[in-house]
Amino acid sequence: MNSEEILTLASGIVSSWDWVTEISRPNPKQMDVKVTSLQELIPIVVGLRVKRLGHLSAIVCMDLGAEAKEMEVIYFFCPGDAIIALRVRIPRENAVLPSLCEVVPGAESYERELREMFGIEITGLVTPDRLYLPDDWPEGSYPMRKDFDPKVLSVQE
Amino acid sequence: MTTNQETERFTISIGPQHPALKEPGSFQFTVDGEIVTKAYVRLGYAHRGIEKATEQRNYIQDLYLLERICGICSHIHATAFCLTAEKLAHVEAPPRAQAIRVLVAELERIHSHFLWIGVSAHEAGFDTLFMYSWRDRETVMDLLEGLTGNRVNYSANVLGGVKCDVDKEQKAAILAGLDFLEERTRHYFDVLTNDSMFLQRTRGIAVMSRNQAEVMGALGPTARASNVARDVRVESPYAAYKQYPVNMMLDTRGDLEARFVVRLNELFESFRLIRLILDTLPESALTVRFPRRIPGGEAVMRLEAPRGELFYFIKSNGTDKPERVKVRTPTISNMTSVIKLAVGHQLADVPMILAGIDPCFSCNDRTVQLTNARNGSSNTMTWEGLRQHGIEFYGGKRK
Repeated sequence: MNSEEILTLASGIVSSWDWVTEISRPNPKQMDVKVTSLQELIPIVVGLRVKRLGHLSAIVCMDLGAEAKEMEVIYFFCPGDAIIALRVRIPRENAVLPSLCEVVPGAESYERELREMFGIEITGLVTPDRLYLPDDWPEGSYPMRKDFDPKVLSVQE
Repeated sequence: MTTNQETERFTISIGPQHPALKEPGSFQFTVDGEIVTKAYVRLGYAHRGIEKATEQRNYIQDLYLLERICGICSHIHATAFCLTAEKLAHVEAPPRAQAIRVLVAELERIHSHFLWIGVSAHEAGFDTLFMYSWRDRETVMDLLEGLTGNRVNYSANVLGGVKCDVDKEQKAAILAGLDFLEERTRHYFDVLTNDSMFLQRTRGIAVMSRNQAEVMGALGPTARASNVARDVRVESPYAAYKQYPVNMMLDTRGDLEARFVVRLNELFESFRLIRLILDTLPESALTVRFPRRIPGGEAVMRLEAPRGELFYFIKSNGTDKPERVKVRTPTISNMTSVIKLAVGHQLADVPMILAGIDPCFSCNDRTVQLTNARNGSSNTMTWEGLRQHGIEFYGGKRK
């Protein structure tokens, strides 16, 4: 399958869920899917997995800043030379995402990273422990957020 | 003294000192007698916050910063960053620069795979092979130094091209070096697939089926040894791989031996590719002008590092600094397979299973703590001790 066929198949899967609002093609080899409700995320991933459309290549999270009050999480699936990006927006405060581990076991370490670096609660994560940060890292302080202040580390001492 | 099977369950923590890689790790293996029943990983002991640091530096500074993520595959990180930034800025490096990027990347793959042969041979107690392969690795390190001026962080890339060119003398030196390395690789292939002592440690150990590898998200040679056709150089050719296609090396067996065979076959493929590039190096400039400020946008790039797919994501915001840089290295994806594969195996196999994914760890001394889960008594041994345990465990079985 070339990237065009892959993306046609993928957009067929994604648009068979009525509630998905937006599919865009930023470049010929990439398809962006804006997932508007978190409940849709896992069914879409199941659909991609069933059709063997790529592996979960990475989960990228971006803090859009204190003013936007939102974070954007992008799940990248890479079949062949195509890229499927599932985009989710979640609020910065009390951010919650469902765990993909039951569908994609390899997602565990990416999700553990999201949890400690951005403070996103992942529901259904089997080992929600810290992966990278040390044990004495201050609670409630997330280093990859835009407003992270390194001073919290010296106050601790 | 009465002992109950239940009380004989130990948790063994290996690590956390792995100073050699971005993902140094602490592993905890719960064992029942000799069999591993549970595995747990904790990383980040050398997490330097590079992703965060890139947001405060401009693109040129980031190039040098990101090249220092890994000491073994430094070139692939710099190439990944350059290609992603070039995609964002709509700049394309000239063909000669792209070919030299691939040339250095393949030399780096040779150096990385030779290093890995040595490390895993050492873990199996085959120190002679370790010494020889690291001696031979010096040849490729010298070639890289001759080409770029550096042994480790080659710094061959600049945004919009490369710094170094290949002249006639360098070409002759590389060809001579390759002949020597190819002969040595043939010898290692023979040793690693025929030496009965070594096969005892690799054949049929840590078998990962194709489905398992796919589900766990294994990448690179680890996945290809389980017959998962996943190689970014083939699937989505970048830089000059379109002009210089790569043959994918697959193996159906999925055990440790297959991982050796796949990597050794990849070495032969790299030799072929480098010779081809040297013969047909296109003539062009080495760099093009690259803007200081990159217009807002997002770009994704996947490259095949020696250990598997490397993922780069950059979001730009119109300034000379990126808004967000995300790096996903292959070891973090392959780590899941170690955790799942170790369960059910002998404790003595753990060093080889870890080494099997090539997590770039050098033979550092690590403390291993044995703790009795029931009464809290603990017993400390070093990584060296665990390695020795593995060697003696298999040595004892020998006739």
